[in-house]
Amino acid sequence: MIDQSTALLLITVAVASAVEAVEALTIILASGITRGWRSTFEGALLAIACLGVIVAAVGTALIQYVPLYILRTLVGTLLLIFGLQWLTKAILRETGFKALHDECDIYDKEIATLSKEKGILRGKRDSLAFAVSFKGVLLEGMEVIMIVISFGLASGGHDQLGTAALGALVGVGIISVVGAVVARPLARVPENYMKLGVGNLLTVFGVFWMGEGVGVHWPLGDLFILVLLAIIFVATLGLVTYFKRVHESKIEVRA
Amino acid sequence: MPIEKTLGALWKGIKSFFSFWKDFLVGDSPVLALGVLIILGVAYLSRGSAILAPASTIILVLVLMTFTVWQKTKTRSHSQS
Repeated sequence: MIDQSTALLLITVAVASAVEAVEALTIILASGITRGWRSTFEGALLAIACLGVIVAAVGTALIQYVPLYILRTLVGTLLLIFGLQWLTKAILRETGFKALHDECDIYDKEIATLSKEKGILRGKRDSLAFAVSFKGVLLEGMEVIMIVISFGLASGGHDQLGTAALGALVGVGIISVVGAVVARPLARVPENYMKLGVGNLLTVFGVFWMGEGVGVHWPLGDLFILVLLAIIFVATLGLVTYFKRVHESKIEVRA
Repeated sequence: MPIEKTLGALWKGIKSFFSFWKDFLVGDSPVLALGVLIILGVAYLSRGSAILAPASTIILVLVLMTFTVWQKTKTRSHSQS
């Protein structure tokens, strides 16, 4: 049986990883289709291996040498910054102030760029496909790594680091399987809703752990996470509703 | 020459390392990063109070969230018009 906070940790990391995996998949598909799959897969696998080493090395070192209250303060602060960044972007997209992330458009642009390039062929390896795939997966994966390490450490050690890594694998695995089946960028994934959800969760855990780290005593203990979740969710809903109206009224004035 | 080259490469590496983390943490929202640090400070200073510490932390997060979204909508409205 897994407890409430472990389940919440698993879901948060899985959804956050899935969002990043959607973006990485677009790059992998574009590279694989235009330049060939072998080098693309090699680049992606090497990036995944690098990310795994970072989690194991950094995570283990931090657990062993840094006291928990310092970890929680640092991790909470980082998560709060990330969470609010995700939330702000997702709210701006939801209200119309920012264009929605269009995976098909990104895919078409990537295909056009990669088709023009010749690349340096070394034996059977396409260095351009390898580099594009490696860089894409590594950069998209860095945010996931930050979340995995943060959640793993702040929840209390090695076991939770494993749980967070498992959550990331589940999220990436689901997107990879779906991506392999449809062989197209996943344009129908409700990416913005996922970002709103993850932004909420990151913000909530960020506030909670940052507070615990500096010595704030939350009423109800760990259960207060649910209260925070309700508060941030209602605030997000309120901001979306209000700024949607603001955006619509601006469009009407222009028309 | 090789030492100058090595130092140059080292300096370039250090600069790109910090620029990566700056982009990662601050991005295009320096106010947000600064706001979070202020919340951290307020939470630390008020940690002794059972009511003030949780309440002020939550209220400040909500204020920062609203302000950041409002600020971004203003900039975007100006750039669109």
